[in-house]
Amino acid sequence: MEVVARSDPRGRTVLPVVRASGQLAVRRTGPTTVHLVATAFGPLGGDDAEVRLVVEEGARLSVHSVAAAVVLPARGESPPSRQVVRAEVAGVLHLAPEPTVVTARAVHLAELHAELDGRGELTATEQVLLGRAGEEPGRWTGTTRVVVAGRPVLHTTVGLGPGAPAWSPPVAPRAYVSTVRVGDPQAAVRTGVDAVRLPLPGGWVGTAWAGELHEAVTRLAGVTRERDLEVAR
Amino acid sequence: MTAALLTLADSRLPAGGHTHSGGVEQAIAAGVLTDPASLALFLRRRLTTSGAVAAGLAAAACRAVDDADVVAALSALDAEADARTPSPALRAASRQQGRGLVRVGGRAWPHPAWAALPAQPHHPLALGVAAAAGGLTPREAAAAAAYLSVSGPATAAQRLLAMDPITVAAVTARLAPEVDAVAAASTDGLPAAADPLLDLLAEVHTARKDRFFAS
Repeated sequence: MEVVARSDPRGRTVLPVVRASGQLAVRRTGPTTVHLVATAFGPLGGDDAEVRLVVEEGARLSVHSVAAAVVLPARGESPPSRQVVRAEVAGVLHLAPEPTVVTARAVHLAELHAELDGRGELTATEQVLLGRAGEEPGRWTGTTRVVVAGRPVLHTTVGLGPGAPAWSPPVAPRAYVSTVRVGDPQAAVRTGVDAVRLPLPGGWVGTAWAGELHEAVTRLAGVTRERDLEVAR
Repeated sequence: MTAALLTLADSRLPAGGHTHSGGVEQAIAAGVLTDPASLALFLRRRLTTSGAVAAGLAAAACRAVDDADVVAALSALDAEADARTPSPALRAASRQQGRGLVRVGGRAWPHPAWAALPAQPHHPLALGVAAAAGGLTPREAAAAAAYLSVSGPATAAQRLLAMDPITVAAVTARLAPEVDAVAAASTDGLPAAADPLLDLLAEVHTARKDRFFAS
């Protein structure tokens, strides 16, 4: 899937490229907004999806999804499903998909690689829930790498679910949320109950976890005061 | 295996590591670490996240000593270390220990690469340079980093909880296969494994007035 956002001569954002294939479709839902639509159930074990987002200087792009992604295992020994987002940002990118629910036995890998030039702005949120109601948790591994003007400012891999080495009692949450923001003054540290906001050059990264997704979102909002997340609730 | 590796991983090497608990002090305060079983879980958690990151960086720094532009190679690794350590408290702890190791390592194993390190390098970078200067391989640098990610915190837990030293030694020794596995898996490439719990514990800890350890 690929979306390119460009600023026209009058300073308005146009989307000259909006295309998708395979399990993802993409719909324009506003002048600078697209929504991802899953064309079938899934992702399913073994699925591999790549999303390329280009936001040129002066342009804005918001990427959402119409519903939670429910990651299901393939039959038998399920291989992981993988979703990679590669973003090149000279304008303003807002990436806020609905939660990813990783069902029992499913293994999902999520990657975000964002390259910003000195003026690019990024807000990327991630919400993960391990297992549907009453179900055993699945496995989720999320990697975030943000490079600003050639310098890496954040590179972390978080592994959740049974078998993930750093997912062990008494801290083995089912719900995890994280937001990365670049394009603000560097934020100070803020800590809360199972929530922390850490400074990045030109922004911050906030993370929270809980037994339920709504609790995690509330905890994250408590340390980030992120308007968009509150609107999304 | 050489005596240089044993020296580098020895807690008696006066590099200042003994003033850091690797999150153990706050884990105890938070009630996450209470007994040998929870100590083993905590150490495994630390080993597979910050231990793996440190092992990868130490191996890469050991290799960077042979780079045509050592200063640029180590500076790029220092930036990668920062990107993998968003917690200011953990960054400060790493750089303090890096400076301490430069002080002793530069005297113990003289080598031109010490001068190529940033002023207050991340600890794994200093460890990698010390390994190279001591004639060790990147794999051995990774082993030292992985081992140190659990040995110091284990001692801190022993002191803070007045645990039986033999029990703590056994907990640490039983992690040896996992320490080796982390070092082997981290020698090529730069893992980025993160544990938000350790970030949170470190930031709550650094704000405390009554702490016993620096981190």
